[in-house]
Amino acid sequence: MRLSDRIVDNIVILQPKGKIMGGPDTSLLHDKLHEYIEQNKKHVVIDLADVDWMNSTGLGILIAGYTTLRNHQGELKLANVTDKIQSLLTITKLVSVFEAYDSVDEAVKSFSKT
Amino acid sequence: MDKPVISGDTIVIPSDQEFLADVDVFLEGTLRGLGVDESIIADIAISVSELVNNAIIHGNKFARSKSVTIKMAHNGRTLTISVIDQGTGFDPGHVPDPLSQENLLKEVGRGIFIVRQLMEKVDIIPSPHGTTIAITKSF
Repeated sequence: MRLSDRIVDNIVILQPKGKIMGGPDTSLLHDKLHEYIEQNKKHVVIDLADVDWMNSTGLGILIAGYTTLRNHQGELKLANVTDKIQSLLTITKLVSVFEAYDSVDEAVKSFSKT
Repeated sequence: MDKPVISGDTIVIPSDQEFLADVDVFLEGTLRGLGVDESIIADIAISVSELVNNAIIHGNKFARSKSVTIKMAHNGRTLTISVIDQGTGFDPGHVPDPLSQENLLKEVGRGIFIVRQLMEKVDIIPSPHGTTIAITKSF
């Protein structure tokens, strides 16, 4: 997995790419989230458009991000969830946990409504 | 062993998650060679990654001196893939229900549940010398 990040309208956009399967790249997202939390940036969108697939390690990373941000009065939302990941979120009932949007733009705009 | 060894339809890796990608490249390449649909390849790749993670973490307990063996076989359009560790008989069948409300936000504990959802058959064979998990999927 590779990870890029940017800021749009004061919202952090994290864009992992490739496959999220565990191993050496597992801490990338966690470390990046904590960097932003330390900068007091706690509204985050994870753009999943370029994630081929993820396993339960990937889901665990999303949950860790969700709970970490929530514990710091922040919020994590998902964008561009692919069919394969949507299927995993559905069978694990995590679809009820994550707020998901069809585009990064929609996810960013949703923060101004809350 | 200090690096993956491929022999026919089998790959053996040292017990280290840095080799997950090697397993995936071998697996997906072999499945594409058989003409397996991309969505089914993804389901199998997800499942095998779960089993290899389990084998390294819970089976071999990160002992790099131990190995994980991944064997592929196909009979007509039915694939069977076995993942074999060298642990002391961890049984991943006995894990808490990941769908229960108290477990929903736990970061771990979904692996074997996901495998059971994605595959048609999952056989878990624990033994004092290691656990074999065989998954079956039609393509």
